Amino acid sequence: MTPAWILDIFAAIMLAVAAISAARLVAARPWQHGGVVTDTDISHLLMGIAMAGMLAPSLTTLPNDAWVGVFAVLMIWFGYRVARDYQANGARALAVGHCAPHLVHSAAMVYMFAAITTSSTMAGMSGMGAMSGMGGMSSLHVPTLALLFAAILIGYTVWDLDQLSSLRSGLTAAVAAAAGPRLVPATPGAPVAGAGLDAAESGTGNATGDSPDEAATATGPQGAAGGGRLRTLLFLDAPGTVVGCRIAMGVTMALMLILMI
Amino acid sequence: MTNIAVAGDRAAWRGRLGTEPVAARPSLDARRALQLVLAAVWLLDGVLQYQSFMFTKGFNQMLAGTAPGNPSVIATPITWDANLIDHHMVLTNAIFATIQLLLGLGIAFRPTLKVALAASVLWSLGVWWFGEGLGGVLNGGASPLNGAPGAVILYALLAVLLWPADRAAPAPFTAARAVGAHVARALWAILWLSLAYFTLTPDNRAPAAFSGMISGMDSGEPVWLQDLQKGAASLIGNSGLAASIVLAIALVLIAVGVYLPASIAKAALVLAIVVAAFIWVFAQAFGGILATGATDVNSGPLLALLALAYWPLRSAPAPSGPSAQTPAGEGATR
Repeated sequence: MTPAWILDIFAAIMLAVAAISAARLVAARPWQHGGVVTDTDISHLLMGIAMAGMLAPSLTTLPNDAWVGVFAVLMIWFGYRVARDYQANGARALAVGHCAPHLVHSAAMVYMFAAITTSSTMAGMSGMGAMSGMGGMSSLHVPTLALLFAAILIGYTVWDLDQLSSLRSGLTAAVAAAAGPRLVPATPGAPVAGAGLDAAESGTGNATGDSPDEAATATGPQGAAGGGRLRTLLFLDAPGTVVGCRIAMGVTMALMLILMI
Repeated sequence: MTNIAVAGDRAAWRGRLGTEPVAARPSLDARRALQLVLAAVWLLDGVLQYQSFMFTKGFNQMLAGTAPGNPSVIATPITWDANLIDHHMVLTNAIFATIQLLLGLGIAFRPTLKVALAASVLWSLGVWWFGEGLGGVLNGGASPLNGAPGAVILYALLAVLLWPADRAAPAPFTAARAVGAHVARALWAILWLSLAYFTLTPDNRAPAAFSGMISGMDSGEPVWLQDLQKGAASLIGNSGLAASIVLAIALVLIAVGVYLPASIAKAALVLAIVVAAFIWVFAQAFGGILATGATDVNSGPLLALLALAYWPLRSAPAPSGPSAQTPAGEGATR
C-alpha cells in the first residue's frame, strides 16, 4: 500500500487549497451589497475538504453518499456553465475556459466517491484504504474511466501551468504596483493591475470599485496594516494562487484515480 | 471569479457568474504543444510511481530482473542499485516518484523548461540503465512490441529534439529546430531501423513469438482489453515470421520516409503513428496501466509523439522547380 505519510502530505496540500479558497470567499464579502460568491471557490473548498478526507481516513467529513450528491450538483452546475460558454465562445471555451476543468473535477469526484462507496461496502474499509490496500487487485467497475479522468486532469494541469507562466509579466506588474506608495486609480470598466491577473481564472480583465468601505491604501497612519491587507488580497487573487490551487487539485485527483485502478 | 481593483485608497472585489468571454491566450507553436504532451507523460509517470506496487518487493524484483543477460559492466550496477532500493524501499521510490512529478511540472512551466528538459535527459539515461537494463538491447530481449529500445530513452530523445533553441536556417519540421534537419533525420532513421532489426531477431521472428507476447500482456487487464488482445493474438497465431517481416518492412519505410518529399514523408509519419497505436493498444495494453504496476506509459505514445515532431511544417510559398521535391518539407517555413 502507498505509505500513509505520502497520502497525508497530499491531504495537507488539499487542506491548504481549501483554506485558501475559504479565504477568497471571505475576502469577496458575499454578505455585503455587491459581493458575489464564486462557484469555483466553493468548488475548490468542497473538493479540498472531501479529498483530504479520502486521503487521510482519520479526517472525518461527510458520508460518501452525501459527497456524491454534493459533487453531482456541482457537476450539473458546471455542465450548465460550460454549455453557456460554448454558446458564447464556441469549442474554444472547452479548451481555455475555466468551467470545463471544474466540470471534469466534479465528475471525477462523483466517480471516485461512487467507486469508494461500492468498494468499501464490499471490503469494509474506508477512504483510500478501501482502494489502495487491495494489493493490485482492481476493484473498480470501470477502471478505464479512472485512467481517462486522470489523463484529462493531467492535460488540464500542464495547460494551466503553461498559461500561468505566460502571465508572469502581469504578475510582476501587479507586485510592483502593490509595493508602490500610490496606486493607480481605477475607473469602472477600466483594466487595473490586479484585475488583469484574474484573466487566468475567469477570463475577464476588468473590475469596478464600488465598495468604498474597503480601504486598502498603502499610505497614511494605517498604511502598514492596509499594505499588508492589500498584499494578502493580491496574493489571494493572484493567478499563481488561484491556478496553483487548481493545479494541486488536478495532480492530487489524478494520483487518487491512479491509486484506485 | 473575483476581481480586485486597487484604486487610490480602496480595493473592491466583485465576482461574476454566467457567461464570460474567453481571455486572449498566447498562441502555442507546434514545439511548445509537443513539450506539453511530454510534460503530461512525465506527470503521469510520476503519479504511476506512487502506486502501491512500487513500494513493495515486486518493484525491486522488476528492476533486478533487467540485469540477467546483460554484460557484467551493465548488469553489476543494476544489481547494486536494486539492492540499494531494497534497503530503502519507501524513501527511494518516493524520491523517484517526486522527481518524475517535478520533471512534468517543470517542463510545463516555461521558466523552468530548460532545467527540466536537461534534468529529464539525465534522469532518462539513468533509468534506461538502472531501471530498464538498456531496454534489453544487449541481452536479446528487445522487441518493438515490448518497448524497445527502452521507452525511457525516447523521453531523452524527445527532450533533445524539443529543446527550446533555434538554428539559423528555417527548420523543415519541429524536431529539426534545435539540432538541425540532418541530425534529426539521422536520429529518426537510427531509431526506426533499430526497431526493424529487433523485429527480425531470432527470438522475435519465432512462430509464436508475436502472439505469445500479446497474450502475455492480458493478465489483470479489463475484459474489453483482454478480448482485443486475445483477438489480435489469435489472428497472428503461429504466423510470427510473416508478422515480423511485415512489421519490419513497415518500420523500414517509416525510417526512410523522412528523407523523401513532404507528401510521402507525411504518409510515412501517419504509418508511424498507426504502428505506434497498434503496438500500444494490442502489444503493450496501454502500458499495462489498467492492470496496475506500470511504471510508465511504455513506448507507444512516445513513438507517436516523435512522429508528430517530424511532421513537415507549413510550406513556403510557391517554390518552383526542383526545390519542390526537397525531403520532408525542406525549405519550408513556420
